[in-house]
Order: sequence, then C-alpha cells, then structure tokens
Amino acid sequence: MLLTIYLFISVLFFIVFSAYKAWKYASMPIHSRLELYPVPKEAGRASYGGSYYEEVEWWNKPRQVSHGNEIKDMLQEMLFIKKLFENHQRLWWPSYSFHIGIYFLFLWTICLLIGTAWPEQAITYLINITGVAGFVLASIGNIALLIRRITDHDMRKYTTPQEYFNLFLILAVLLSGIYAWSGNVLFFLPREIIHQLLTFQALQVDPAVLIHLILLSFMFIYIPLSKMNHYVGKFFTFHKVLWENEPNLPGSKVEKELMEAAAHPPATKWSAPHMNQD
Amino acid sequence: MSHSSEIQPKDIAKPVDKLGEVYSLMVLSAPYDKEGMEPDLKEPKDSWKTKFCASLDGFIALDTLVRPSTSEEEDEFVQKFINGLAKLFADSNNNFLQPLQLTMDYCAKCNTCSEACHVFEATNRHELYRPIFRSEVFRKIYKKYFTPGGKLLGKFVGADIDINWESIARLGELAYRCNLCRRCAQTCPLGLDNGTLTHEIRKIFSQEMGIAPTALHTKGTELQLKTGSSTGMNKLAFLDTIEFLEEEIEEKTGRKIKIPIDKKGADFLLTHNAGEYLAWPENPAAFAILFEEAGLNWTLSSSMIGYDNVNYGIWYDDTMARKVALQQFEAAKELGIQRIVIGECGHAHKAGIVSSDRMTYGEDKVRVESCLPLLWELVETKRLTFNPEKNNFPVTLHDPCNIVRHMGIVQPQRNILKAICPQFREMTPHGVDNYCCGGGSGFAVMQSLNFPDFRNKISTRMKFQQILNAFDEELVTNTDIVKYVCAPCSNCKGAIRDMLEYYQATDRFNIHYGGLVELMVNALTTLEQPYLTFTDE
Repeated sequence: MLLTIYLFISVLFFIVFSAYKAWKYASMPIHSRLELYPVPKEAGRASYGGSYYEEVEWWNKPRQVSHGNEIKDMLQEMLFIKKLFENHQRLWWPSYSFHIGIYFLFLWTICLLIGTAWPEQAITYLINITGVAGFVLASIGNIALLIRRITDHDMRKYTTPQEYFNLFLILAVLLSGIYAWSGNVLFFLPREIIHQLLTFQALQVDPAVLIHLILLSFMFIYIPLSKMNHYVGKFFTFHKVLWENEPNLPGSKVEKELMEAAAHPPATKWSAPHMNQD
Repeated sequence: MSHSSEIQPKDIAKPVDKLGEVYSLMVLSAPYDKEGMEPDLKEPKDSWKTKFCASLDGFIALDTLVRPSTSEEEDEFVQKFINGLAKLFADSNNNFLQPLQLTMDYCAKCNTCSEACHVFEATNRHELYRPIFRSEVFRKIYKKYFTPGGKLLGKFVGADIDINWESIARLGELAYRCNLCRRCAQTCPLGLDNGTLTHEIRKIFSQEMGIAPTALHTKGTELQLKTGSSTGMNKLAFLDTIEFLEEEIEEKTGRKIKIPIDKKGADFLLTHNAGEYLAWPENPAAFAILFEEAGLNWTLSSSMIGYDNVNYGIWYDDTMARKVALQQFEAAKELGIQRIVIGECGHAHKAGIVSSDRMTYGEDKVRVESCLPLLWELVETKRLTFNPEKNNFPVTLHDPCNIVRHMGIVQPQRNILKAICPQFREMTPHGVDNYCCGGGSGFAVMQSLNFPDFRNKISTRMKFQQILNAFDEELVTNTDIVKYVCAPCSNCKGAIRDMLEYYQATDRFNIHYGGLVELMVNALTTLEQPYLTFTDE
C-alpha cells in the first residue's frame, strides 16, 4: 500500500509544484518591455519581423493582432522545437528524439488510463504504439544527449554534475521501464498496475517493476524542483517577455497594472550615491 | 592562460595577469585578408594595469573601477556586489524581475546562442566572449549565495566559484564586452536572454556600487541632466547651433529656412541625438529641408533635454534612464505637444518609445514614434518628389538593433531606399537578423584608455565584414565610385565612422557612411546642387 500512496503523492506533487512554479512567475510584477522581433502575433508583419511601430501615429491605428499566428508559432515550438531546429540542427536530432519520446509516453499514459475503462483492441494497439515509440525515442534521444554533452568540449565545460544527474535519472527511469514492462504480453503489466492504482489497491509487483516505480515517482517529485520544469518557464519567456509588446495606452490593461504597481512602491533601495539624489 | 578554449567560468577568480588574451581574429574578406591592412592590437600600459582591471582580456571599459589599496576596501567592494545582487532579485528590481528570473533559472547550456554573437565569432570563438560564459559566472555567484541548492550542494549544482575583488571586477568588465544587441536571445530555444543578464550586471555596478564608464554616466546621463545634453550643449549653445545650421542650409542649397523652435501648436516635436548637431549637422539640416519642403507643422525644443533625445541610462542604470525619459516627455508637454518624433538615433528610439513606455502613465506620458514611417509616408504619398539618378551609386543599409530587432521597424527605411537609390543592396544577414554595428550599448561613445581598440578591432569586425561583402567586387575594381553605408542611427554612425577610419576604408576604397535623410535630400528633384559631397570625412 505504501507504494501506491508514494506513487499518488509523487504525481500530485508534480502537478501541484509545477502549478506553484507557474503561479510564481505569473504573479511577478509587470516588467519593462523586452520584446524581440519577429513577434508572431503582429498580423501581416510577423513574416519579416515588423510591428505596429511601422505606422505613422501608430496609437491612432487599429491594432492588427493575429492570435492564430501566435498559436501556430507556439505549436511549432512545442511540437517541433523550431528554434533549435533553425539554429542548432546537430543538437536538434537528439533533443527532438528525446522530447517527442516523452510526448509519446504522455500519450501512452493517457491510453493506459482509457484502457482501464475501454478495453478494446484499438486502445491496445494505441498503447503498444505510443509505448514502444515513447520508450525507444526517449531512450535514444537521452543517450545521444548524454554522449553529446560528454564528448562535446564546449558543452562538457558548462555542464554541472546536476545536469548529468538529470539525464541519468531519466535514462534510469526509461531503461528500468523498458526492462520492467517488456513481458511476453507487451504492456500487460502497466495496464494491470494502472487498474490497481485506480482502484486504490496495494500493488503486488516484482523487484524490477518496484525499482522502476520508485525511480519514476522520484522523478515526478524531482522534476518540478529542477530546471527540467522548463515546460513552465518557456511559456513565460515567450508569451510574457519576447512576444509581449502591448503598449501602455490610456485605459489599457497595461496602464491599470502600472497604476496598481505604483501604489506599492519598492521598500528596498539601491545604495549608489546618485540613487538617492533628486 | 594560453588557449581560450580551456578557460572555464570558475576561472574568473584565477590569479593571472590576463585571464584570456585575444590571439586570433576572424579573417576579413579581401582585400583585408592581407597583412598590414589593419593595425595590431596594443598591450595596455603598465600604469593602467595597476590602476584598473586589465586582467580580463587586457581591455579596460570601466574607467571608474579602480583597484583597492587595502584588504578592507576589497572586502567592501565584494560585499557591495553581493548586496546589489540581492537587490536585483528584490522589489527594487520589479521592472526586470520576471525576465531576469527566467533567464537565471533555465539555461540548458546548449550553446545555441554562441554562434549568434558577433563578438564571439569575430574573435574566432574566444571563450570569454561566449554569451553564456558571462551568464554562467553570474549564475554561479547567485547560486552560491542565494539558492538553497547552491548553499547545500555547492559544486554539484555548479556553485563552484571563488569570489574576490578580481573575479567581481572581471565580471564588471565582462558586462562591457557585450553590445546588448540580443541577437543571442533570438536563437535561444528556451527564450532566455543573455543580453538582459548583462544589462543586469551593469545595473548592480551602477546602482549599488556607483561604477559605470565615465562616458555613459558622468559625461553622459549626469551631464545631460545638468546641462540639457550629454554633449554638454546648453540652451544657448543649442540656439547658436541652429543658427549655424540655417546658414549651412542656405550656403549648401540656397534655401532660406527658419527652423522652428519651441513652436506652440506644432503637430509634433522632432528630437535629435544632440551629437548629430556637432558631428553630423547635415543630418538635422536634412530633416529641416525635408519637413519644410513637405510643409509639415513641426518644431524643435530648446528646453532642458528637449533638444537631446539620447538616454544612455537604458544601457546601465534604470533610475538614470527614467529621469532622462521623464524630462524628455516634459519638454513636449511644455509646448502643449502630445507627439514626439524621434530622429535617426537607434537607442533613442528604444528608450523613448519602448523602454520608457511603462515608466509612467496618464497625463505624464507623451506619445512617441519613429521618424522612419513618417519619412516613408512623405515618399509614398509623393508629398516630396525624388530623382533616384542623383543617388546612382552603391548603397547598403545597416539595421540598428534598437530600431529593427527591438522594435520591429523594418520596412519603411527599405522602402525609401528602394525608391531613391537604384543601386541599393542588402547586407547579409539583414533586418531582424542583422549584426550589431559594434557600437551598441554605449561602446560608440566609450573612448577612454584602450577600449576603442576593442571596439574597432573586435566588436565592429563583423559589421565591417558585412560592409565589405555588400560592396563585393566594386570595392577594389572601382575605387572611384562612392559606396555609401546608410545607418539611420547616431551611435551606429559613430561606430562606423571610427571603423572606416581604423581600416582606412574611405581613403582606400571610397566607402562613406551617413544617415537616411541625407540621401533623401540628395535625391530631391527640387534641389539643384548635390547635398552629399563626400569631401569632409
């Protein structure tokens, strides 16, 4: 029963702490503008990096915003890691293999959950496809990233022991998962375990599965505490910094936020002599 | 240390005379690929080494950062930095907190940003100039002092750095080896920004430790707040300058123009970088010729800071930036004008339009825009007519980072050049992917000690290469033909002026530089004499 509770707690921790991290960034005060072009929501101008500042008296012109463009760019980044592909293709291959593998494993988990309520042949196929693709692609990508980090002089120099630990931890989870789940009937065991978990039963597992589940739970707890929670931060770096170009016009949301911020002046003061002169 | 690739961020405290020597540089295109085409780098004087921090790479940007004479002074210096670092993550830095925290938290050290940096590439990938080298030194210090992981686990999380006067001083110098062009941030798969981090390091030095280059602070923002201009030009001198401009215009074009000053009821206030009046008066003069011929209702201001749109504060000190920006808004309000048009100055564009956008609100705020869309409107609507044949020589365009990458003003200046310059050609890359001129973030005005060597030889090198490539074969096959680098930005012009002089490119290959409006006036159908004479550079 302890294992069941541990698994539940780790997943809950993953969700709650990821949400807490997002809340922390979201509740930070309004900042100076630091957008960088191209900003994809600039309708009709994003293709060459233009903005509303290309208009005379821009504040009198209707603002042309394309949320469709923004979503398209966001999806390209999420699904294909577009920036890495465009700027660092050698690293894109292992990184993409790793990330797409994780996406497949996420789908695999959803399929496993669906499979408990809808045990049709179709879902079995989906479980097998997403599971095999997920474990294989994520493992290949992970190993390739590790090799790259170890053999590339420039990357090695900047990699901390913790960053190796992160990659080894995930690799351990993946490899132990492959070993644990590769029975005669593919992915029969995880389906069984998911069923036991959802019905809140004590898990009866062999040592290989036990080791995998302990590692997996530890990973769920560890990820939100480490920089591997970049799935949270990346939303803010793009949407709230690089693509955030809302002007401060009278009556705007930005103006309201600035007024609220002005009502709470900072208590901490800088100390250089000129900072305290009028 | 011998080879730059062996240097690591944790070496920043290493007790060596010079952490990294610049041995080799990117080979320039022909004819600059031959020996003797450019001056060699010089060693810093011994007296500079004992007084300042020349132990990073031999260059000195921070001429106000002097070595301590006692260990107490050294401890105090380090403590001040740590105090400043704490304030960077407190409410005292609310306006940068979110972007700073994100960049501190997530770097994957994938090195995707490295190749985007013109300084790193110009030095054949010198480790000190790798964008994440500086960030990693900073991150390690932050972890060591301020994160639970760093305090508990030390080396395991990368908090493996010693801190002393030398390491902090070197980090301060390192913050002035980056042009803040943020080209690296454009490439980051996680959207992180080493340029902003560099800006924040400069901020600690200025706002907490009182250390900033003299050219930016004492002879920059402080002088501007005292006299009205970072050039030291006061109101009387400004009025004299305008009289001189009117005489120049009459002498050059035969036109008697009364330049409007402090005209109440004008549609807009035009502001220039005051450096233009002194170094390139033909630029503000050209604006006056165009606006008068187009019949615009415009004015200049003679009130405090109203005649100088520079704002060096955006490069190193938020408080100074705010003081200057608010004073500039005030100048417009005094005239009852609610619209400022920024002349050809890149950082003034960003400071006046983007950086100051959230510094105030309501009645304190004035609407600000770029001159470029307005100039294009005058061309597009045929309010002014041009004869492109007058500009029938090779012209290329430099994209100022502040106007293009940081603001998205890309097409108006191109549209104008395409309309009035038959031999216009782009640099590669251009637009939002451009390279910085090498003068960005204050480098163009920092002339003390041996810093100009760093600028001319290293930070402007990629731009010089782009210029050579833009003119390609014409460069050597036809030295009689004028080649024009159009740079609609004062600081970029300053950097390009020094670069062309350093490489003797004007004397050798007839490469000239200037603004956009000069080309426009030169092509005006109503003007009989050429406006551009290419004799005084």
